[in-house]
Parts: sequence; C-alpha cells; structure tokens
Amino acid sequence: MNKIDVSLENVVETIKAFYDPAAHHFLTLNALRAPEDQIELEWIFTRYGVIEEPTVFTLTCKRDVLIPSVTSFIPSAIMSERETVDMFGVSIEGAKRGLYLDDDSLQMPLGRCRV
Amino acid sequence: MKKTVEIPLGSQHISLLEPIRFRFHCENEVIRDVDADVGFVHRGVEEACASRFEFKQVGYVVARVCGLCAITHSLGYTLAVEKLLHVSTNERIKYLRMLMVELDRIHSHMLCLAHTSENAGFEALFMQIMNDRELIMDVQEALSGNRVQFDYISIGGVNRDLSVEAAALVLRNLALLEPKIDELFERFTNNWSLSLKYRGIGALSLEQAYMYNTLGPLARAAGLVTDVRLETDDFPYAQVGFEIITERGGDIYARNLVRLRELKQSMQMVRNIVEGLPEGAIQEKTKGKPEGEAIARVEAPRGELMYLVRGNKTSILERVRIKTPTFSGIPAMIEIFKGSNFADAPAILASFDPCMSCTAK
Amino acid sequence: MSFWSKWRKRAPWILHYNAGSCNGCDIEILAALSPRYDLERFGVLNSGNPKQSDIFLVTGPVTYRSRERLIELYMQIPEPKVVVAVGACTATGGVFRGMYNVEDGIDRYIPVDVYVPGCAAGPQLIIDGVMEAVKIWERKTQEIEEPFKLFGGMGKIGEALSRRNTLEVKDEQNRREP
Ligand code: SF4
Repeated sequence: MNKIDVSLENVVETIKAFYDPAAHHFLTLNALRAPEDQIELEWIFTRYGVIEEPTVFTLTCKRDVLIPSVTSFIPSAIMSERETVDMFGVSIEGAKRGLYLDDDSLQMPLGRCRV
Repeated sequence: MKKTVEIPLGSQHISLLEPIRFRFHCENEVIRDVDADVGFVHRGVEEACASRFEFKQVGYVVARVCGLCAITHSLGYTLAVEKLLHVSTNERIKYLRMLMVELDRIHSHMLCLAHTSENAGFEALFMQIMNDRELIMDVQEALSGNRVQFDYISIGGVNRDLSVEAAALVLRNLALLEPKIDELFERFTNNWSLSLKYRGIGALSLEQAYMYNTLGPLARAAGLVTDVRLETDDFPYAQVGFEIITERGGDIYARNLVRLRELKQSMQMVRNIVEGLPEGAIQEKTKGKPEGEAIARVEAPRGELMYLVRGNKTSILERVRIKTPTFSGIPAMIEIFKGSNFADAPAILASFDPCMSCTAK
Repeated sequence: MSFWSKWRKRAPWILHYNAGSCNGCDIEILAALSPRYDLERFGVLNSGNPKQSDIFLVTGPVTYRSRERLIELYMQIPEPKVVVAVGACTATGGVFRGMYNVEDGIDRYIPVDVYVPGCAAGPQLIIDGVMEAVKIWERKTQEIEEPFKLFGGMGKIGEALSRRNTLEVKDEQNRREP
C-alpha cells in the first residue's frame, strides 16, 4: 500500500485534492493506538475497476485534539467517523457518540490500554 | 407547527430479519428524513480479536461476525494474515476457497430474492426459493461438514479436500438448480408485482452511487463498475469465467436482476472450478508470527469486505479492522429512502439486503 | 373452551428475535420454516406480533442495546409462553462470551425453557426444540386453565370460593389429584 503522511493542518486539503469521486473509492477510516497517548488515523482509498494497491493517508496526533472531518466531500465517511469516535474516545468534527455504545457500556473499548 | 409525522420501524418487525430501528419522518405518504439506529447487535468482536484470541483462532472468531457471509470473513482475515506471514498458497487451495465463496454467494442471493418476494406478498414464492436454496446448503454440508458456520478456511490452506462424491453432488445439484433459476428470471422480469411495480422505486442514480461510495449489487445496479473480484489479483477469477455484471436504473428491479444474473454466473463459475480443479496439497506450511500491516479485500455477497490486520510479532494481534459492506452502504440507503413512499419502505429495505450483524460487529 | 382448545393445542405461533446473534441461527430458523424441514406442518407459524405469539425463539447473547427490547417483547407475549434459546451463544455466550458489549446468555434476563445447542443449530435440532417447547406449552396451558374452567367448571369454582378461607390447603390438593 502507498502510505502518505499528512499533518493535522493539511489533512482535509490533501485528501480533497486527491479524491476524485468518479474514480476513487473511500474504503474506511481506521484508527490505532500509538505510543505516548497518541492516535494514528488512516484514511484508505482504492480505485474502481482496476487492480491497484490501496492509498493510505496516515496522521498521528494527540488523542485530545479535534480531528477534522472529511464528510463535506465524502458523505459516506460519517459511519467510520462515528465508529472511530465511539471506539477510541477521540473527537471528530460533527460526529456524534452513540453509534454502537450505550451509556453503561465500556467506553472507548479500543482506546484503552490492554491488560 | 411540525409538518412531519414520525413513524418508527423496528427493532423487531416481521419484514426485518435482524434488529435495526428506523425512524421515518413522513409528510403525508412521503418519507422526508430517516434516522437509523444500527447498533443493536454490537458485540465487540474487533476488540476481542486483538486481546482475547491468538491469531490462529481469530479466523474462526471473525466468521461469527455474520452467519450469511461467514466464509468471506474468514477468507478476508486469512488473506491478510497470509500476507503478513509471507505464505503463498497453491492453485488448488485458491480454487477450493473460490468454490466456497461462490457457493456462499449463491445461497445468500437466493435468501435475498426470497425475502424480496415475501415482501411483495408472494409467500409461496418465498417458500419455493427457500426450498431450492436447500440444494446449495446440501452441497455446503457435504463439502465442509456444516450448513452455516463451516469453518472451512484455515491459515495456509483449507480444512477439507473436495472428494469425488462431493464433486459429483455439486454438479448434480447445480444441474437441478439451473432450470429453477431460469424460472425465477421469468418471474422477476414478467410478473407484474415483482417487476413492473418495482421499476423506478428506490432508485439510486449513478452520480449518487459515486457520491455515496456504494458497493456490491447496489452499485452495480446503478451502473457503477466495481467488484473486488475485478480489482484484486489474489484469486484467478478471470480463469474461471468471471465477468462484471452491471445494470442500469439502480431501482429495486435492477437490483433483483443483478442478483439473478450473478447467481447464474456464480453457478457457471462453480462448475468451472469443480471441473478444472488443479492438483496439489490442501495445506501449506506456515511459520512465524505476523508482523507489519496488511489489507485484504474480498467480494462478499453484499459488496466489498475489507480486513486490515496489524501484528507485532506476538501471537496476539495489535489491530483487526473489519469494514463490512452494509456498513458503508448505510448513507446511500438513507439517501434512497428520502422521497419514496412509506408503503415501499419494507420492499426497498429488503432490496438492499442489509446485514446488521456485519454492520455492528 | 374445550371445543376450541382441541384446535388451539397444535397451533402455537412463534416470535423470533435476534438479540445480537451472528445471523447463522436466524437463517437456520428460516430454513426450518421452509418446505424441506417444514416446521409449519405442526401448525407453527412465524408471526411478527408478540401479542399473538406463544413461543419465543431468541438467538444471540443479548447485547447491551437489545436488553430492553428483549424484556419488553417477553412481557408482551401473553401467558402461557415458552422461551426457546437457539444456538450456543444464546445459551452461554458461545464465542462472544466475555466480550465487552454482551451479557453471557439470555437466561440472565428471562427464564428459558428449552436450550437448543449448536453453532449454528441445525434445522432438525430447532424442530426438536420447538416440539419440546410445544409440550411445555401444553402443560403450562393446562396449569393455567384448570382453576378457571368456565363451562363445566363453574360448580368447582363456586365451591372453591365458598370454602376459600377455611379449606384452601385441602382444595389445592384436590385440584392436583385428578
Ligand atoms: S450459535 Fe453460532 S451460528 Fe448461532 S447465532 Fe450464535 S454464533 Fe451464530
């Protein structure tokens, strides 16, 4: 896969410049815990109809910052963003909590340290 | 004053196989807005895969994400882990895996068509399709030992070989099924309540399909050329006669046609696979622990399924990310609901063939 | 009452609810209703309405969000009712046991009469389970009907009412004996 590093400031512009709705397919937004209370986010894209390795935009940032949303030009990203918010306890612009988890569930199950 | 009426549907309803709750905001008969609550079956598989189970067991755990497309889940995971372990499988294993995936597609599409006809009021046709579907279930049982949760795929190979008797059974049952599918074709194109009534209902245009990143039969019915079998080279699909199927219009009728045509094509592919099965062992040697990050994509009956696996040289994986087809399809579904009649809602919903167990994991 | 019960005895309707299962057992329930296995020959119909159902088929290890629904549906089914837990994960949690968003098995929430094992439970097993449930259901029906037999049982009720305070214990024994 082709990895492209982005930063918190230019993530939306980079993806917007890259993304062409008629050719690219937004796979998903993936998140991972990174050391030192950081989080690693990956926006994964593929192309329609051709054999090509997925393109991945990666961003590593602190857990407590507000992460910009890409839903303004990729409306279907709302699902993955809401899921990430639930699972990792991060905040993403415009994504509500409570897609999967209830009030008495274990909060941010994937965001905590494993025993 | 508020102009819209709220009508809830679900979480338990006769036209729903699985719990999902919709809240339709209707103005007279027309749906203006929809809220969907999809989290009813969230169990927490992703977390368990990365903490409670070893990587060799995870393949059987992720199969329990969804019973309808269990085989594609284990296949997606296995492909990703095999990339990390640098295992390459021989042709026979690839063919056997393809065989099971295509059989799974056949029975899943038949279930969807049965459900569509039930929602159109054809109780008898529902029963008939379910009966014909048993032919495929028999084949799956003979091949793998279980009807639904067949844990057929293991890391580095498959768990059972195709015996001569089983191969004969596959061919015999497919020959029995073929005329029945032709008859269904006739029904779904000529019967008024199944064909004309559904023209133009629940339509998704090509622009919308691009915009909402739709997948699988939903996208192919709108004319979008996307199929993971075409976009990856993990399996020799071209050798067994795969060609992409698209329709125009994107309405319920087109979706049914896509499913029917895919059924026929999958049957042909199964036949080609059984007849041209290469020789070889059914298990490759694997060693080591997964390290690094890999993405694997498989075409499940409802669209693209993605697995992202990251390992750190221990037996417990660091991250297993499951992206299921219905999960990415939900924004498009909500878009389709807007503007259609409330009375059509169950039929539209059935034509998406949603899988909530997949969505919520 | 006896006139109708002859027919009603063999027509229990089922209500199916998915409380977080993987779908495997759900499609097997559908397969059990389809002509190959034909659960309907026993008069069993799949109804979507809890108020008309008698047998409650549950699959799945009760996720957090479906707890409330499960109990609500259970409460809405009129007495006598029988609960059948289909599948390994419904009985004990199965593979999902210990995951963070599930309760391990439905018997933490509602009383279960029949457990159907298997992952996925085969249609034959489901039919067995439902038939077992029908037996339990008949027994429960009898237990409920006995003290309130209106036609032909009027005298008994009157008798029981008049002696209610003094002879309650003895009456209880009489009722059990025949
Ligand atoms: S018992 Fe197995 S097949 Fe049945 S619902 Fe549970 S996990 Fe799925």
